[in-house]
Amino acid sequence: MTFYVDNDVQYNEGVRELAKVNIDSSGPRLPWAGKKVHIENVEEELSFLWRMTADNVRTSRNINVRTSVLNLVICAANIEIAQQASKFMREVMSTHIARFTLLILEEHGDNPPGVFTWVTLRSFPIISDIMRHNFEQVTLLASGGAVRSVAHIVQPLLKPDLPIYLWWLNDPPYGSSVFAQLARLSSRVIVDSNTFIQPEDGLNFLSSFMQQAPDSAISDLNWGRVTPWRELVAQFFDVAEYRPYLSGVHRIEIEHAVTADNASTAEGDVSPDPIQALLLAGWLKTILNWKLAHDSAEHVYDPATGTFSWHIVRPTGALTLHSIGISSGKTGKLSVHEDGVISIRPRVQSDMRPGTICLVRLISDLDKKYAIFSLNRGDDAEHVFTSVELSEGTRSQRTVQVATANDAVQLLHDELEIIGRDHLFEDSLQEVTELLAQK
Amino acid sequence: MPQRSVAEASNPFREGIRIKQSLEPCVMVIFGATGDLTHRKLLPALYNLALEHPLPAGFSVVGFARRPYSDEDFRQQALNSINEYSRQKPVNPQIWESFAAGIHYLQSNFHDLAGYEKLGTLLNQIDQERGTAGNRIFYLSTPPSQYPEIIQNLGAAGLNRNRKGWTRIIIEKPFGHDYNSAKELNRQVGKVFREEQIYRIDHYLGKETVQNILVFRLANGIFEPVWNRRYVDHVQITVAENLGLEGRSGYYEEAGAIRDMIQNHMLQLLTLVAMEPPIAFDANAVRDEKVKVLHALQPLVGREAATNSIRAQYGPGWVGGHQVPGYLEEQGVSPESTTETYVALKLFVDNWRWAGVPFYLRTGKHLPKRTTEIAIQFKQAPLMLFKRSEAHGQVEPNVLTLRIQPDEGISLKFGAKVPGTDMQIRAVNMDFFYGSSFVREQPEAYERLLLDCMLGDSTLFTRRDEVEAQWTLIQGILDEWKTEPRSNILTYESGTWGPQAADEFIWRDGHRWRRP
Repeated sequence: MTFYVDNDVQYNEGVRELAKVNIDSSGPRLPWAGKKVHIENVEEELSFLWRMTADNVRTSRNINVRTSVLNLVICAANIEIAQQASKFMREVMSTHIARFTLLILEEHGDNPPGVFTWVTLRSFPIISDIMRHNFEQVTLLASGGAVRSVAHIVQPLLKPDLPIYLWWLNDPPYGSSVFAQLARLSSRVIVDSNTFIQPEDGLNFLSSFMQQAPDSAISDLNWGRVTPWRELVAQFFDVAEYRPYLSGVHRIEIEHAVTADNASTAEGDVSPDPIQALLLAGWLKTILNWKLAHDSAEHVYDPATGTFSWHIVRPTGALTLHSIGISSGKTGKLSVHEDGVISIRPRVQSDMRPGTICLVRLISDLDKKYAIFSLNRGDDAEHVFTSVELSEGTRSQRTVQVATANDAVQLLHDELEIIGRDHLFEDSLQEVTELLAQK
Repeated sequence: MPQRSVAEASNPFREGIRIKQSLEPCVMVIFGATGDLTHRKLLPALYNLALEHPLPAGFSVVGFARRPYSDEDFRQQALNSINEYSRQKPVNPQIWESFAAGIHYLQSNFHDLAGYEKLGTLLNQIDQERGTAGNRIFYLSTPPSQYPEIIQNLGAAGLNRNRKGWTRIIIEKPFGHDYNSAKELNRQVGKVFREEQIYRIDHYLGKETVQNILVFRLANGIFEPVWNRRYVDHVQITVAENLGLEGRSGYYEEAGAIRDMIQNHMLQLLTLVAMEPPIAFDANAVRDEKVKVLHALQPLVGREAATNSIRAQYGPGWVGGHQVPGYLEEQGVSPESTTETYVALKLFVDNWRWAGVPFYLRTGKHLPKRTTEIAIQFKQAPLMLFKRSEAHGQVEPNVLTLRIQPDEGISLKFGAKVPGTDMQIRAVNMDFFYGSSFVREQPEAYERLLLDCMLGDSTLFTRRDEVEAQWTLIQGILDEWKTEPRSNILTYESGTWGPQAADEFIWRDGHRWRRP
């Protein structure tokens, strides 16, 4: 009988006896979640499990340090999704040791109102496989009317004085107050818009939620997928020689992967919308301080090809005198704005998860010289070729590693390092909703 | 052209990104490119930076050494180094190919000015081809005796500055052999490079746990109030190695433990523990405070040096289950050698914060285990309430231990009541392990330091006055040791914690060495 504590904590006879007494036989059975206990006994049971691992330390190489640096709460809509999330938590905890609380919100089930809790200690290797660490997992299933109060129910289960990160799996619950209540409780709310069934609605929901709840910090794993691209774009303009071209950027092109038949891939069902490309476009638009042209007829969305194109008015900074010098005595034209274009289009790349960014190109004209800054993913999903093409020739070519970042665990690792709000993400998200509003 | 800090350049896309400053493309010229440090540390660190791409496009490396290598030979050597020593294995062929395209080699003697002129031509060519814009780092990874001629020739060839970009020089330890040579080296390098161009490297400062000393002290409000003579009884800093010479007898015979460990690494640890909070976390503010500590160290000269220091050599013994020879029997060591492999010092920081608090430093080779730690022992509670109970005599002083390596972390020892009806008190440790709270791979110290140099941030490098102040203290001890007969050098059995006299040395003050 080892399922209460996975992998390596062995129960002795006495423990088994005690376990039998505490098992609540009513309600669903979730063997993968550990031992079912009454919610009031969660702390006691966890202490008991830690004491058992201490015994284990004497005979093996476990490290018996009861450390947590944060609370991670994951919300799943049903048991199946929760079990999937539970599977990869060991990997997340290997970087951020936390008390992991898995909430299963069976709001629409036929079950009567109820709350069931399970506890377990789970372990992961830290030095090859000979030394292991443990982390605490508490699973709470709320059904029926209990779901509405889950934010209150879960509070006693959280470790005090540590930040609370809430990861909401799948689409946010439009029209439900649970999300807002849990968000208020949390230091940071994480979603993955790549898995939204209705991505546009989801982004709009997040955008308006941020406006209504300005104290809540929200982040999106898709923003993490865009981060390496942001870093590479930034690197272009670290070079003093290229920086002047920033003011001349007038066209931004972004391509994202689609499958030939728009079918789902081995990666699973994923969002049909190019959210990563949109977030990148939103970020570029924010940083460059570009505005959408007023005439919406100039913005194009072609559902047949999946191509977006927005006409942009871009400020050129200080007032500049164009075309004719004043000293010549001819009339001049003062202007602070010029035109620009943001274009997003699909690229058939069946070996990649749909939505993955494949190309970013910034085209600049400056004093009759041009520069094209390109980041181009070739056939290889792991690498990006970067280049700068100037009027006088191509320079600074190299290959860099940009994994397709499908790995939600790695992205979650990064999110859990951020404390507080990410204003740049929030601004970029607002830009995305503005861009999408032109469809 | 004045040295331009890249931090001053603004790139709006950097907002909200991990590295907030612009990292401009540059060329790193490694003098001593075929040596051990380049092989084990520098090339693997640069590759790791390329792989995780903080390194900018166009970044290039030029190996400068005497061996008749071609570019291709040097690239192959670099690949072998990375394959063997990089923390990121296996090598990613595409990243390697891209990184290798920027690797060059120039064969020259260090004294040959023509070699430096060729180097200038090559650097200009790289600027043209790879857009490195005149930004250069010269890394001195040669034996220290060659530093002066390299520096002089860099100046003579006009490579110490250029009109297009910035130029920096990284100088490896040991920085000087004694006070005069360090001062002379500072003078020579100062004739060619301005201080803000000079990065004296001490890789200890690149370690995460060393940087955490400042975070621990200054980002937490509860420690600083007790971080002074009113509460601290004494401080012990231990850098113990279980290894012996490992084939470095030539270097070690000249250096000894005091130059190899105390003058640089251990004084760095001491200053980080003892310094006042700086007014800002920037290079000069931090180093100003560290220098003040060094200036406040009570000088050890004459009899003071003799009574406050212990030196010894290891004798034969057993380390890690292996029988090992004594120092004098090691290959390449003179049987008459006076080089110390163990040093213990008692130092005082004469300022208001630390007056009267002894700082005990000890380091040695062939000690029982490899460990680096700083232990701050606090004074006993002023009134022992439990003296009439069974707890009398059981209460140990509180000790805060900062473990630098291995098992990086922090421990606080305090007394706790043993459960039961009687009053028994036992010392328990409250432990924080980096490895259990932050289970992630730490970057190599050299990765951090090379990146800082490229960014123009010298906070974690040693300043001119700092290195001279370090040597001022050490010189007093060296001078006294020179006058002592050889018989004063003690011997300790390999695999022990040092000579018996070192125990007596600390017992005299009513303390005892910790057993890490």
